[in-house]
Amino acid sequence: MTTQAVDAPASAPQRPAGGQRRRRSGIERRQNVGWLFIAPFLVVFAAFLVFPLVYAFGMSLFSSTLATGTKFVGIDNYLKAFTDPLFLGGMGRVLLYAIVMIPAQLIVAGVAALLLDTLATWLSKASRLLIFAPYAIPVVIGALMWSFLYSPRFGPASTIFDLFGLDAPNFLSSDNIFFSLVNIVTWQWSGYYMIVIYAALRAIDPAIYEAARIDGASGFQIATRVKVPMISSSMIMVITFALIGTLQFFTEPTVLRSVASGALPADYTPNMYAFALAFSYSQFNYAATIAFSLGILVFLGSFGFLFLTRKQNGLK
Amino acid sequence: MKSKLLAASGVVAVAAAALTGCSAGDAAESCTNEIVNPDATQVSVWAWYPAFEEVVDLFNQNHDDVQICWTNAGQGNDEYTKFSTAIESGSGAPDVIMLEAEVLSSFSIRDALVDLSEYGAAEVKDDYTEGAWKDVSSGDAVYAIPVDGGPMGMLYRKDILDQYGIPVPTTWDEFAAAAKTLKDAGAPGVLADFPPNGRAYTQALFAQAGSVPFDYDNAKPGEIGIDVADQGSKDALSFWADLADQGLVAVDEAFTADYNTMLVDGTYAIYVAAAWGPGYLQGLEGTDENAVWQAAPVPQWDASNPVQINWGGSTFAVTSQAKDPEAAAVVAKEVFGTEEAWKIGIEQAALFPLWKPILESDYFRDLEYPFFGGQQINKDVFLDAAAGYAGFTFSPFQNYAYDQLQQEVTAVVVDGSKDASTALDDLQATLETYATEQGFELK
Amino acid sequence: MAVLPAATDANTRAMTVADTRALRRQERARRSGTAGGRRIGSHVLLIIMAIYFVVPIWWLFVAATKSTGSLFSSPALWFDDPLAFFANVVGLFEHQGGIYWRWLGNSFLYAFSAGLGATIVAVLAGYGFAKYRFRGRTAVFGMILGSVMVPLTALVIPTFMLLSQYGLINTPWAVILPSLLNPFGVYLMRVYTQDAVPDELLEAARIDGAGEWRTFRTIVVPLLRPAIVTVLLLSVVGTWNNFFLPLAVLTNPDLLPVTVGLNRWLALSNAGAGGEQVWNLITSGAFISVVPLLLSFLFLQRYWQGGLTLGSVK
Repeated sequence: MTTQAVDAPASAPQRPAGGQRRRRSGIERRQNVGWLFIAPFLVVFAAFLVFPLVYAFGMSLFSSTLATGTKFVGIDNYLKAFTDPLFLGGMGRVLLYAIVMIPAQLIVAGVAALLLDTLATWLSKASRLLIFAPYAIPVVIGALMWSFLYSPRFGPASTIFDLFGLDAPNFLSSDNIFFSLVNIVTWQWSGYYMIVIYAALRAIDPAIYEAARIDGASGFQIATRVKVPMISSSMIMVITFALIGTLQFFTEPTVLRSVASGALPADYTPNMYAFALAFSYSQFNYAATIAFSLGILVFLGSFGFLFLTRKQNGLK
Repeated sequence: MKSKLLAASGVVAVAAAALTGCSAGDAAESCTNEIVNPDATQVSVWAWYPAFEEVVDLFNQNHDDVQICWTNAGQGNDEYTKFSTAIESGSGAPDVIMLEAEVLSSFSIRDALVDLSEYGAAEVKDDYTEGAWKDVSSGDAVYAIPVDGGPMGMLYRKDILDQYGIPVPTTWDEFAAAAKTLKDAGAPGVLADFPPNGRAYTQALFAQAGSVPFDYDNAKPGEIGIDVADQGSKDALSFWADLADQGLVAVDEAFTADYNTMLVDGTYAIYVAAAWGPGYLQGLEGTDENAVWQAAPVPQWDASNPVQINWGGSTFAVTSQAKDPEAAAVVAKEVFGTEEAWKIGIEQAALFPLWKPILESDYFRDLEYPFFGGQQINKDVFLDAAAGYAGFTFSPFQNYAYDQLQQEVTAVVVDGSKDASTALDDLQATLETYATEQGFELK
Repeated sequence: MAVLPAATDANTRAMTVADTRALRRQERARRSGTAGGRRIGSHVLLIIMAIYFVVPIWWLFVAATKSTGSLFSSPALWFDDPLAFFANVVGLFEHQGGIYWRWLGNSFLYAFSAGLGATIVAVLAGYGFAKYRFRGRTAVFGMILGSVMVPLTALVIPTFMLLSQYGLINTPWAVILPSLLNPFGVYLMRVYTQDAVPDELLEAARIDGAGEWRTFRTIVVPLLRPAIVTVLLLSVVGTWNNFFLPLAVLTNPDLLPVTVGLNRWLALSNAGAGGEQVWNLITSGAFISVVPLLLSFLFLQRYWQGGLTLGSVK
């Protein structure tokens, strides 16, 4: 299905060539009823998104320092942001997370979904639930649980590593914190992505497998050459959402900061930086600028990704 | 079935709306405590002291004209974040707020606090020591009323030191020697921890070595002097970095469950602590049953010229959003202005009073602490430490300064990527740049 | 935004599932006959994955049954004295006057009222977008989808100001009203409505003289039921898990949801102020608070598994 089909006229009006004016305006009036249906949403949208956004954007055009007052500075804050090593450093860090974390989640979710699709035992059904379960746990509580599990004294790591005769690494040191965070996010979200991919797999017509098998494809080949390409649009959606989430990385490192503040400085990710600027350093205007700059980069990033994959996602 | 579902949702929605409507109505007036005199002026207070409810009840019973409506809005930074948001948006702050002394300048520069000199602060000035008063005032202006303080001492495990034949260190040199003895003897733990996220604690240790990091006066808010890379700070940081490097002290982060346990299970033989430290230890789990705790004065650089230091301490300030600043000032001045209130604070919340009538009382001096085997720790250690404290000046961007300090200290003692001197020079440069950006003139 | 077509694509495919079920069963049966060894391998891999995902939850369960002391002294993944769980529950009733249960109740209240509200709003809007072609529709819809990319930190201060202007700070409304915003729900409802409600049906209703609202209520809503349940579930979960909004707009301890409340206990326990070490209550409180959602996911499997296919997106 393509864009065309999506936008198919709702009531499929077949306008007579003669153009009956009265009937047309009747249709138009009826179409405008649509506004009434979306009105409640638009009110919420205007109050809790458009208004705050416009306000925050306005804030970003002013500068206010501790010792001097507030003054209008135009885009100066943006010029500052895009040369600010702390913002750029944080941006680089989340890009690195995107490069590592998204494939990690996708591989775990994809492999699990492919396995589930070929197995239909009670065991696989139970596994599906268990893998999905972390999604039901609030992110804050999930991160909190991991901060315990990573604890050098109370966590199970030492017990587990002892089994293999190894010393447990310190998960919270500045060298390891990156992968510790990747692990938390993978744990929390992979199950969700797995369900999405699994659902897409189930939607494939098995006749296609039959055809592939007749052509002599093995199970593995069917998985990689038939299934994966057929669910690419779902994969792209998953990646887009993971990308947006990763660039805005905030909650997990913020929670872990309470046990690893040395490894996770206040400006670790751009979103954390914006938060620290506003709430610890009282620089609300510059904080709004950082948040907006991040929003712009997220938009460009995800739009760019969708553009690059337009062939697979059906975007023309 | 479907319409039933929708109808059911409708009912729930209405019920929910009714419920929230209900609580929304009285939420504005909601207090954690009970109001004794409903006709009196109500003053809203944010504070996180343990056992504070009893103190509030006491105040409300004793006042006909003013009543406290208390809320715990979170501890430390949680509360400050809320306060900060409220200041920025122009509403939502309480009338009176508990603030640590170190953040007073950060809020007064944003015009968030009322100058209490106009509301009778002078009346209570004599109830506090000079050092305590200096922490809350700037020139003639008074931004808060002191409540509790954190004069520092040294808590140690007598059983561990005795076991290894280590005398109680009185100087930092002896401290270093003790650390080495302990390590050489193959003890399972270390002598102490130097937490890289100590912040105020680190600052206090530097101050003992002569550091005066900031020169700032609220009367001239556009000027600041920054001197964080003086010789005293460098020496103190090198001292700890050196011990850490040899593995003689730990560099675990403070205020985590891990750290709390190690404090009491014998991993650290010494806890250099503030006067509220004993209360802290008492509340921790996993205590070694054979532990014998004692308190001693904090080690000195120069035993013939002892310098007392302070770690933490809190105050009550009146916010600029107070509806009735006069009534709010009464609360700030009087809530911890009775012996009864202080007995609750001392015995249940382990606070160290700055209010002289109790600070200088026999009761407080002779108080025996069961945790220390009946030692009179106030008489032995903390009263002297409090008396010797001369006050401290914080910067109006203290949170930023602490964050930067923490990063530099981490680089030195944890990562070993810098030496103490370079790190503090870097800190000086960072803070100067920041102050200039924020429109301050450097003194 | 552009996510729409692709997702719809997957969705149409989902529609064919029922027809091919039988074929799929045969296929599975055949394969299990020929590749038994591989099936064992697949199972082993799957179980390893399941263990990875479930170990932290197991830990939480075990930790909920420990006293603070044994939490810090006994092996992390096994029970010490399971009966301590009951002592912990008693503790939850006693500590600060049993405020934990109030938090739990608040979480329910916020999640269900915001979830219901958001769902109603989304169903209406989704239908409006799917079945009416008014001017500006595409632009408005694009804007709504674009809003997913806005970082929340940008909105905290202005939202706070807006709410405080109307005296809503520190009231349940401060959490519920902003949570009504669920662009993703609108998107899901639009996609689903497009396929599940045939235009001919609407046309027929109109010819019969039914008004727009009546058509919607009596004909459309019943057809949308599976999607409504899904959006409801997702909105409820979204509000239940919310942390930063309530953290910012609520100060009164009696109004906090359980996420923020537990976090406050954590801060107190870390700070270690006299007598505030309640690690056992934090772990048992966290465990009890995740049980309702885990159970509802278990029992509502049919809905969320089907529902997530809707847009084949988050």
